[in-house]
Amino acid sequence: MALKLFGRSKSKGLRPAPADKSGSVSSARRRHTAEFIPTPRMTLDEDPLKRLIQQGRFSVILRDEARWREQPKAHLVIAEAKRLLEQRMALVPAGSVAIPQTLFAEPGAPEIEIEVEPFLLDVHVVTHARYQQFVDAGGYDDLDYWPEEIWPHLIEFKDQTGEPGPRYWRKGRHNAQLSDHPIVGVSCYEAQAYALWIGQRLPTEAEWQMAASWHINSSADLLRRFPWGDAMDNNRCNIWSSRRGGTVPVSEYASGAAPNQVLQLIGNVWEWTDAQYNISDDVGRPIVGEMPMRVVRGGAFDTFFETQATSHFRSGQIAMGRTFNTGFRCAMNLSAASWING
Amino acid sequence: MATATRAPARSIPCLICETQNQLDAIVCTNCFAPMTLIQEALVQERDPCIVTVIGDSNVGKTVYLGFLLDMLSKRAEDFKAVPKGAYSVNLQHTVISHLAARQFPPKTAMEVDQWLWAYYQVSHHRRGDKIYDLVMPDMAGEALAAEIAAPRTFTVIRSLLEKSAGVILLVDAALAGAGSPQPDFFALKLMSYLDGVVGGKRRQLTKTPIAVVLSKADYSPDCFDNPRSFAKTNLNRLWNICENRFAHFEFFATSVVGSLGYGADESDNVIPYPLHVAPHGILEPFEWVLARL
Repeated sequence: MALKLFGRSKSKGLRPAPADKSGSVSSARRRHTAEFIPTPRMTLDEDPLKRLIQQGRFSVILRDEARWREQPKAHLVIAEAKRLLEQRMALVPAGSVAIPQTLFAEPGAPEIEIEVEPFLLDVHVVTHARYQQFVDAGGYDDLDYWPEEIWPHLIEFKDQTGEPGPRYWRKGRHNAQLSDHPIVGVSCYEAQAYALWIGQRLPTEAEWQMAASWHINSSADLLRRFPWGDAMDNNRCNIWSSRRGGTVPVSEYASGAAPNQVLQLIGNVWEWTDAQYNISDDVGRPIVGEMPMRVVRGGAFDTFFETQATSHFRSGQIAMGRTFNTGFRCAMNLSAASWING
Repeated sequence: MATATRAPARSIPCLICETQNQLDAIVCTNCFAPMTLIQEALVQERDPCIVTVIGDSNVGKTVYLGFLLDMLSKRAEDFKAVPKGAYSVNLQHTVISHLAARQFPPKTAMEVDQWLWAYYQVSHHRRGDKIYDLVMPDMAGEALAAEIAAPRTFTVIRSLLEKSAGVILLVDAALAGAGSPQPDFFALKLMSYLDGVVGGKRRQLTKTPIAVVLSKADYSPDCFDNPRSFAKTNLNRLWNICENRFAHFEFFATSVVGSLGYGADESDNVIPYPLHVAPHGILEPFEWVLARL
């Protein structure tokens, strides 16, 4: 297998493109409305297996491989699905994480220790282009992908023109100039629906922290504040002080990759996890949002404090919130990729 | 024959209220403005520009001003800014250290002698690297309200506004967007007061540039998409007085807190906590005002 476990493909010390000196952080909002070039609709293959590959739903094929074997040339498509999985996902090994339980998370503050099983995680956060496939396939109208409690609110998940889709899109299309940027303007439920549609799921909070802190089970007992090490370096991630003024393509900042080549765990966009945001003050009184909140991790292009863009920093976002700085990546159980373990 | 030597000045006038103060005075005996302001200004041989940030209590003036100063001193958007005196750093220090610890800074005291002042030299290449001496006090919203209700209760406010080269008016977009008339009425009163203080003759429009900053705009996403349209709809009284009485005004949207949580203290008072910080729209109003000084 070629899963990116220990980063055999070196990052070659890639540096991000120079900062857009004229761009401001708030220009990120304008970017979603100015110079909107709608992306054209992709023509899909009539063959259902090939269509799944085109849509990036290789996990759907691999989860139920036996079902597809009777299809003509199925072995070729299954091989392609495996290749795509190995290209797009990385193995995060087993380890343990300590999740802070208080807002101020000072040394000695309560934490919960969680053991994390090995799992697969997207190398990149989901892009506008990938999410477009879900919208084009009518994902917003298919109740199978949405929890029942959210059905009455589905009508609220619309774009600038009232069509079903992420908040900053128009007429169900994304801006072609942002195709390889992280999808934003989606609630936690939209992120979950997409993940389900491609046969995956959102990472748990512990899994996300494991991927970023890389606290693997080893005698060295190393724990990282950032995927690349212990010191913040704004040349390795896109946060406020990086002066990029908005999201950047998901393949940038190779030098900030985790050891398994997972990119942009810190910065660019906050990432939804599947966890409820439960937190308290230093004497145990709960801190709540105006509406139920989910945990977001990693910080974004507009994160001002470097201490709020680390592998350990927890924040919350209203689950229904559709902000311009929150996206997501998908995960899946290692058992769903059985050939990896033989 | 009389000697031509002039006697050295024993006092200097306060930059803000023009009260004569001893040369070695630390703060003005009348308005409590730091006297280093005027001493520095004399050394620079330039007239400082006063930019005043005004608005209702709890609208976010201190946080806005603290972030503005911090961003300027971090050379955001290629601004160059140097604090003139350690006292100028106190405001941004207080704001940044509290928000980094996920707390809001304490409310600005109503007493004038408790206010924090900032004196910065600011330049920008888009302005031809011209140096602006900017004096920005952090005023209490309650003091502003008291001065509007009973003029000359806080003479320093009147003096400040009279001398202001530009004004940044903060209005709570979250409240306005939720349908409360309070932000609109308070802003209307403030603008009416300002028009009375700095306004020209009846038919002439007031020339002081006014940047109306819709704060907490993350609560009303429409506000960020189109601040003018938001103001016209939700702050119609303010919109009308701007159009009728002010020659230079513009609307901006801003937010600082990326996500907000609520807890309680020992007495069950609700305490808001900034869960993370993501400043937006801080520099644009300032840059707009600077371009009109």
